[in-house]
Amino acid sequence: MGAWTVLQERQAMLLDPAIRDWVLLPIMLVMVLVGVVRHQVTVLLNGPPRKADLKSARETKGLQRGSILRAHGNHLPEYAFEARKAYLTEAFEKGTYLKDPKAGNKPKGNVMQDPAYVETMMDGMKKNMMNIVPQTVIMGWINFFFSGFVLIKLPFPLTIRFKSMLQRGIETQDMDVSWVSSLSWYFLNLFGLQSVFTLILGSGHAADAMRDMQAMSTMGMGPAAGPQMSPTGQPQDMHKIFLSEKENIELTEHEWGLNNVETRLLVKYGKLPRSILVDQKKAKAAATSVSGPSTSSLSSSSPAAVAAAAAAAGGKKKGRRQA
Amino acid sequence: MSGQQINPDDALYVDMFIAKNSQTMTFIRSSYSAILGIAAGTLGLTNWSGFIFYFTGSAFLSFLIFAIKAKARPSLYFRQPLDVFTEGVLGGLLSYILFWTLLYGIIHVYD
Repeated sequence: MGAWTVLQERQAMLLDPAIRDWVLLPIMLVMVLVGVVRHQVTVLLNGPPRKADLKSARETKGLQRGSILRAHGNHLPEYAFEARKAYLTEAFEKGTYLKDPKAGNKPKGNVMQDPAYVETMMDGMKKNMMNIVPQTVIMGWINFFFSGFVLIKLPFPLTIRFKSMLQRGIETQDMDVSWVSSLSWYFLNLFGLQSVFTLILGSGHAADAMRDMQAMSTMGMGPAAGPQMSPTGQPQDMHKIFLSEKENIELTEHEWGLNNVETRLLVKYGKLPRSILVDQKKAKAAATSVSGPSTSSLSSSSPAAVAAAAAAAGGKKKGRRQA
Repeated sequence: MSGQQINPDDALYVDMFIAKNSQTMTFIRSSYSAILGIAAGTLGLTNWSGFIFYFTGSAFLSFLIFAIKAKARPSLYFRQPLDVFTEGVLGGLLSYILFWTLLYGIIHVYD
C-alpha cells in the first residue's frame, strides 16, 4: 500500500489543459455526433419497412397459428381444440399454407438467382458497411492525429499486461498503466456511450458498437438477413418447418383450463383446505406412474385424473401469485 | 417430449408490456449509471472505492425500482422477478467507467 502511494506520488504528472480542450473532449463529441448521424442515416437508408407479399405473410401466420394453439390451447374447450388440431395438422401436412404448394420436395435452384434472396443479402451488406465505415474512419483519424498522446488517467489501477494495449504508441517503460493513450479513450467511449445513445436516440437505435464488433467478425450475412434465413444464410425449406410444427401439435395434449375450477376457486378463497389440491396432485402422479406411457388414453378415459392434473396446474399458478 | 416445451405460465404475460418494462428499466439504469459516474468522478474516488460506490448505488437503485416502480411485486412486471436486481447492472458499468474517468480526469488530473 505504501509502495503504491509512493508510486502515485512519483507519477503525479501534469497534463497540458490544451490536450483536454483539443483532444479529450473533441474525441468524445465527435463520437457522440457520429453515432447520432449514423442512426439517422440508417433510418434513411432503410426507409419504410418492406411489406411482405401476401403468400409469405400467410406462410408465417400459418406457422404462428400452430404455436399459438400449442401455447394457449388449454383455454379452449376440448372439442374446439381437437377441431383446430385436426385442421392444422392436415393443412401443415399438405402444405396448404406454403408459398408454392406444388414445389414440394423439388430441390431448390441456385439461390443467387432468386431476386428476393439477393435483395436481402444486399440489404445486409449495406447495413454492415454503414456500421464498419464510420468506426474505421474515426479510428484512422485518432491514429493519424493523436497517436502517442497521453490523454487521461484511469481512476483505477490495471495490471501490467494491459500496458501494451492501453499505451500503444507511447514508448515510456516506467509510466503507470493507468495513464492511457488516445486510442484507449476511443475504446472507452465506444463502449461507454451506448447508454448515452439509448438516452438520446431511444432504445432501438442503430449506433450500437456491439453490433459493429459482430459485423466485423461475421462480414457478409448479418442478423439483418431476415427471418426466413437459417444462420448459414441459406433459405430454409418451409415444408420441413411445417412438418415439424405439425409433429409438435400432434404431441400437444389438451388439458382444459376450467377443469376442476370450482375446487380451485373455493381453495383460493379459503373455503376448502389447500391440502385437497395437494392430495389430487399426488393421486395424479400415482395414476401416471401406474399407467406408464399411455397418458393420452388415460386423460380421455378417467376424468378424475384429468381433474387432478388441472388442479395441480392451478395450484402451481396460485402459488406463483402468492409468492 | 418435443423439446419445445411451452411453459403454461407464459400465457400470463403480454410480450409487448414485458418489452416496454425492460425498456423502462434500461432507460433508468442508463441515466443513473451516467449520473453515478459523474458523481464518482467529481468526488475523486479511485480504485476499489469507485467500484464499490457503483455497486452500492446500483443496489440502492434496484431497491427503489423494486419498491416504487414494481410496487414490491416484480413478478407482475417481469418474467423473472430477480431481473429487477440484475438487469443492466453490468451494461451500465461501462458507461459508469466512462463518465467516472472523464470527470476524474477533468477535475483531478488536469488542474
